[in-house]
Amino acid sequence: MMSEAGRILSQLLEGKFICQVTDEEAWRFLKRRENADTLEPHLNMLNRTLASSAEGEVFFAAYLTLGEAERKTLLNQFQETTSSLVPLVEWLILVQQAGEADVPVTMGSAIRLNELQSVIEDTPAYAEQLEKISRYRLFNSTSVNLDGQLKQVFKRLTDLGYLVKPNTDKQIYLATGRIEHLYDVIKFIDETESLSLSEQAEAAISQGSLI
Amino acid sequence: MSQALIQAGSKLLNALGRHSDLIMQAYVSGHVNEQEYSKKVLEQLVQLQVLWRPEPQSPLRLKAAVRTLLEGSLQDERNRTINANIGASLASLKTLTEHYKEALHYNRFNEAHAHMSDLTEHVYQLTESLANSVRVMFSRINNEFGYVSSVEAKIRENELAQSQVSELLTQLECFRFDELSELAGSNRELRQLLVVALQQNFSKAAQELSVAQARLLELLGRFREFQGRTRLLKGFLLHMEQQPDFTPGNYANLSDVPVLFNQAGGMLNEASADVNNVEHEQDLQQLVGALTDIHRRQPDAEKHQPASEIDVSEQDTISLEKAPVQLAVEAYFCQVIDSGQPCSALTYYEAQQLDFDPEVWLYQVIGGYQALNDQDKQYFALDPTGEAHAIFNGNFYINDITLGLR
Repeated sequence: MMSEAGRILSQLLEGKFICQVTDEEAWRFLKRRENADTLEPHLNMLNRTLASSAEGEVFFAAYLTLGEAERKTLLNQFQETTSSLVPLVEWLILVQQAGEADVPVTMGSAIRLNELQSVIEDTPAYAEQLEKISRYRLFNSTSVNLDGQLKQVFKRLTDLGYLVKPNTDKQIYLATGRIEHLYDVIKFIDETESLSLSEQAEAAISQGSLI
Repeated sequence: MSQALIQAGSKLLNALGRHSDLIMQAYVSGHVNEQEYSKKVLEQLVQLQVLWRPEPQSPLRLKAAVRTLLEGSLQDERNRTINANIGASLASLKTLTEHYKEALHYNRFNEAHAHMSDLTEHVYQLTESLANSVRVMFSRINNEFGYVSSVEAKIRENELAQSQVSELLTQLECFRFDELSELAGSNRELRQLLVVALQQNFSKAAQELSVAQARLLELLGRFREFQGRTRLLKGFLLHMEQQPDFTPGNYANLSDVPVLFNQAGGMLNEASADVNNVEHEQDLQQLVGALTDIHRRQPDAEKHQPASEIDVSEQDTISLEKAPVQLAVEAYFCQVIDSGQPCSALTYYEAQQLDFDPEVWLYQVIGGYQALNDQDKQYFALDPTGEAHAIFNGNFYINDITLGLR
């Protein structure tokens, strides 16, 4: 049998994100400084180190030193991340608007697929938006009906680790810490490229209200 | 209580019961649909102070007292008003206490009793309204202002609730327990009401309100974060619409990669079965036993190969070539037969100058003799020459073999 530390170590080495939603026990384990310190030498041996984002809510393994091969992996990853930003953001906004509470999707928010589907079905603008989202290469849906598109999008998001489905029989998804990671990435891009995205949005909203 | 008052009260309650659907409709929609009900009923309810008309043109509405009653009993979350007028209630408590004490002083016990029950009523009313305010506050916090949809509206609701909490807290400061205790003096009943009951409720309310205040601040923070995130997402999309070819700088190429973009690739693969590990034998066996279908890859070539022709011609006879040492042994036997003289194997070996190992030669000779069939064996005699071992009895060392004819 593998110890708890071993199990967590292997999850990290598999490139998984560990947060409270995906694996609460592992997350609690890593939250304790001394536990994290016991894993660190093992990770270091494989040129990895324990990293966290979203204010310590998400843990993952990062490279310790960057050589040629590591840079290549990171470059690929970065390209993937940037190309999937727009589809993901559009999906997040769609879910937020179609949800009753108008609350952004955050770690732990529950998305009930049936409710979401009925709202989208009743609102042609959302249905159009969903169709557009599902056609992105990230989701790669070829389905013509709304049901298939929605299922494909959610399946892909679950595969990518943005959502988990705690009960396989129920169509209820929980957002994981990767969503928080995504927000962090957008925030980072906003700050480094000095895009001032929030101000742009606010300006657009106030202009809209004037018209 | 006079009989007339009781009668009027039951008349009012009966009217409420009889016209409950009208009243509930007015409660839910805010006003009465006057076409649906008879004029007489409406007039009666107006007279009973259940309905009223705020302005001549406006429809009939429920009186605030009835609405408050319903909101309180139904625990309706739409109830947002909080009665914070504790100061006035306290003043009336003080007045009533003075009345009571005066009546006691002049031994007017009937009057004192009436004042006492009035006072009790007021005290409990005050405590109930306090508890109610706190409850209303918490029910709003607990469903996170679910009755309004947008985050902006939630923030406004939160601000309203915060102002109400601070208003309540300042009102609570009106409680002066030293004054109340002085007022109650040594009267046991008064102390029970004014000091014990009020103080208990006061401390409970103050405690819960401070918790509510903390929760409200926390919620406000969360709403603000939601707002920030929504703006961030919308701003990003807007930016992408305006500049579709925007790509962020390649952070992975920086000498110091930010930790957000430094995510190690997965590296673990499944282990393989170790068939040499004895401890696993049982498990592996079970695994194999549980297999229902073994997907052996069929060699494709076999399927497409044409049937080969069957060769029916006679097979060549195969002659087995004998080893040189066997041939030499045969020659030795023949020479013994030809000469008719016994001949030692090693003598023959030397005469013919054979180049096998002498020991192999001896073995082969013995083997050659043993290989003869019984009839042939009878013609030959094989005598080993050698010596017994000096120490171990029964061991006989063969030095040479003499073959002769019988």
